[in-house]
Amino acid sequence: MTLSQHLSSLLEAGIQVLPPERLPAYAIDGQTPQAVAQPATRQEVAQVLQWASAEGLAVCPWGGGTQMGVGNLPRQVDLVLDLARLDRLLDFQPADLTVTVEAGMTLAVLQSALAQGGKFLPVEAPLADQATIGGILATGATGPLRLAYGLPRDWLIGIGVVSAQGVASKAGGKVVKNVTGYDLNKLYTGSLGTLGVIVEATFKLSPRPADFAALVTGFPSAVRAVLAGQQLAGQVFAPQGLQVVTGPVVRRLGLEQAGGNVRKSPLAPLYERRVGGISRIAPEPRTGEALAIAFFQGRGLAVRRRLEESRRLLQSQGGSEAAVLDAGVGQELLGRLTGLGWAAETAPRLGLKVSVPPSAVGQVAALLSEDAASGADTGIIADPGFGTVRLLQWGEIPPNPPFAKGGSGGFDGSPEKIARLRDQVRKLNGWVVVEQCPLGLKQQVDVWDVEPQALEVMRRLKQKFDPLGTLNPGRFAGRL
Amino acid sequence: MDQPSLAGRFLDELRAIVGARHVVSHPEDLLVYEYDGSIDRRAPLAVILPASTQEVSRVLALAYREGVPVSGRGAGTGLSGGAIAAPGGIQIGFARMNRILEVDTVNRTATVEPGVVNLDLDMHAHKFGLRYAPDPSSQRACTLGGNIAENAGGPHCLAYGATTNHVLGLEVVLEDGAVVSLGSLARETPGYDLRGVFVGSEGTFGVTTRIVVRLLPLPETVKTFLGIFPDLDSACTAVSAIIGYGIIPAALEMIDALSIRAVQNVMDAGYPPDAGAVLLVELEGLREEVEDTSREVEAALWEGGAAQVQVAEAAEHRAKLWLGRKNAFGAFGSIAPNYFLVDGVVPRTKLTQVLRQVSEISQRYAMPIANVFHAGDGNLHPIMLFDERVPGALEKALAAGGEILRICVEAGGTLTGEHGVGLEKKEYMPLVYTPEDLAAMKLARDAFAPANRLNPGKIFPDGQDHPPSPHRAAPGLYA
Repeated sequence: MTLSQHLSSLLEAGIQVLPPERLPAYAIDGQTPQAVAQPATRQEVAQVLQWASAEGLAVCPWGGGTQMGVGNLPRQVDLVLDLARLDRLLDFQPADLTVTVEAGMTLAVLQSALAQGGKFLPVEAPLADQATIGGILATGATGPLRLAYGLPRDWLIGIGVVSAQGVASKAGGKVVKNVTGYDLNKLYTGSLGTLGVIVEATFKLSPRPADFAALVTGFPSAVRAVLAGQQLAGQVFAPQGLQVVTGPVVRRLGLEQAGGNVRKSPLAPLYERRVGGISRIAPEPRTGEALAIAFFQGRGLAVRRRLEESRRLLQSQGGSEAAVLDAGVGQELLGRLTGLGWAAETAPRLGLKVSVPPSAVGQVAALLSEDAASGADTGIIADPGFGTVRLLQWGEIPPNPPFAKGGSGGFDGSPEKIARLRDQVRKLNGWVVVEQCPLGLKQQVDVWDVEPQALEVMRRLKQKFDPLGTLNPGRFAGRL
Repeated sequence: MDQPSLAGRFLDELRAIVGARHVVSHPEDLLVYEYDGSIDRRAPLAVILPASTQEVSRVLALAYREGVPVSGRGAGTGLSGGAIAAPGGIQIGFARMNRILEVDTVNRTATVEPGVVNLDLDMHAHKFGLRYAPDPSSQRACTLGGNIAENAGGPHCLAYGATTNHVLGLEVVLEDGAVVSLGSLARETPGYDLRGVFVGSEGTFGVTTRIVVRLLPLPETVKTFLGIFPDLDSACTAVSAIIGYGIIPAALEMIDALSIRAVQNVMDAGYPPDAGAVLLVELEGLREEVEDTSREVEAALWEGGAAQVQVAEAAEHRAKLWLGRKNAFGAFGSIAPNYFLVDGVVPRTKLTQVLRQVSEISQRYAMPIANVFHAGDGNLHPIMLFDERVPGALEKALAAGGEILRICVEAGGTLTGEHGVGLEKKEYMPLVYTPEDLAAMKLARDAFAPANRLNPGKIFPDGQDHPPSPHRAAPGLYA
């Protein structure tokens, strides 16, 4: 009996199943599922999972589909569980500053509902109009404002999941402070759907900030920008978000369509002030140059003070004259920067995420900049205050990469180069996760980077929560 | 371990690991280890005071081999029985592992041993213009290791989050002696968030031996408001008004009339004797932020019906406004010799309703119940005041506490906001969680501690895998 015949029993139960012609759109790392179910309730999710686990199928939860390439190669992809229909706002209590939503709601829809109540969830994700709450939690997605607001784990206060065997459970609750039982919220967040399928989430909220602004400053090198940024991040007047980006990234932010349509661009103010010296920093930094972009939000007076002091500090550290972006343009830039590398138009051939203590960001940027300086189409997005460096490499690698002198991390995509970079970054107390890469590389390296003793505990957790290996088999660290 | 000779041999082996001086086993010496700040007590077989991770690991490996349960103990200030030994179990104390190993000013982190006292870390960080934000009321005594186990809170968690939001990395020893690093020095660590689920696991997952926490820059400006209200209802209205203005203060604390009386009995905290409630509001941040929000906070206090509002910016003056709040628990001794404190949480909008119900319970039980609590995040601390020498008084206090927890849960809240479940609240867990919810939690414990040798008998209701509850005695004023 085929899987779709099996699924007919689910159809009788009223669970929506997609027709075969739509299956290819749900391929994960080139593997097309045999079926896609779109349950509309937690009970239906449970029903599908009870059936699928009993059948020994491999089930892959699917949110907005924006980060399905993250993770190791799946061992098997039988059934995709598309949660798009679980998209209800269940309980929004503006006065309590809490909200409960189903996992399939997109971040953008949630934020606009919260905005109507004067609230805001300080969680960001690439492609917020597609990314779902469940997917954001499963991947632990973040954005530049993490400097001020932390990670999704810091805002999640309650969660509803369905286990691999189809048993629904919850952890946490709807109050902002809670130590009743183990904090399984933390365990499910970032678990890539391998311990349970997230169906519901409760967050604490923040009052909606009144004001927003951004500041763009040029630096002669990424390392200089990172060091200045690091200083800035430790100040009381630090911005809410701070990113250092190099030329190839700036090009893809869409800042440079200077030609005819400048005024139509939402980033037009950057160009309008060209005479005032912007041309030296943006839109196209020369090879090796970098921009520091700071984001501010909060109350008007405080935003202004942070912005002015940040501008002064960055300039005293070698930054160029700054461009100030207002709320509309600044938020557009924030969205583009967060999504960079995740939309089809900007998807890199290779995307690495390096996490280190903030003090090591300069060293990592230096390691990675060698590659960028070689003329390869390689960009860096660094977060000097938080300790994240993303390396994005588009197109092919030049034949003689200049990292032969032994230092660094040039990335021709070879497992040896990844391993060497991991060794170097490990010495800096950090980690290298391969977020995006050709399938060939995935066959040779574990895209995650986890210590062996910790991996042993993770293996035991996976064994307890999903003994049959139903959920996303193979995709997590250690190919769990 | 029933036979004395076996116990003797076990103790000898422990002495060989940490040195004879660092194994406490005389019954009289064990008296101070048999209770914490809550109401349960049981003497451990012995208390072991290791000096290093290696010693902790060897002690755990030995206890594992011998089938002896192990509980960690920091300062013993916990309020849920978390540090109390299991039957026949030993305690590991951290008095000798109390060094601040490093403050990294660039990364704004501190690396400490588990026996470091919370306030000592904060004060040390101040020297570098930094702070450790979580500030449980026991911060002068409680240790970071205990804070990790309980996911401790405190007044300033309203703005900065509880312990879990400040822990980056942990070195822990599992029940069999294996040493594992959870998290790291980086803000994000790939893989499952092991340090996240470990924090607040109440000593059942592993024993913490080293801790990396985040430090925050000291705020530029701090401003404290003290609003004096005719009654609790009007103070609650002011709380809603502040949140309604879109302000999350650094701290938002409430003190009710009975607590005011207790405080004024022992010191002059500046509260008028006829005050019905006092609200403490602290704002922190940039000058501009504090100035801007100050006006609204003051307006909210008056709108709520404050009879008087005091404002302080200088450190000494602010300390004076905090005086009553910080000393309230000790002051209850002036009203009754014993107290029993519960830690329920409710949605902020339910504060008024739930506090009225608490007051009804107080009348029904004819037992004074004071309230000193974290109003900003809905974390109540109803305090039953009684005299243990009166027969049945302890039972009555426990019953009243149980009713209050039920009310909190019915109002959409939960059992504990910062004190932990431990022994004290484990039988109430089914009020909040289904058998499936509890089963999922047990899976996590079974992954960390498959033999359930660490702090067994806590968190989950008694069942077939649980030893019986320990002796229950009235709490003294050692909290």
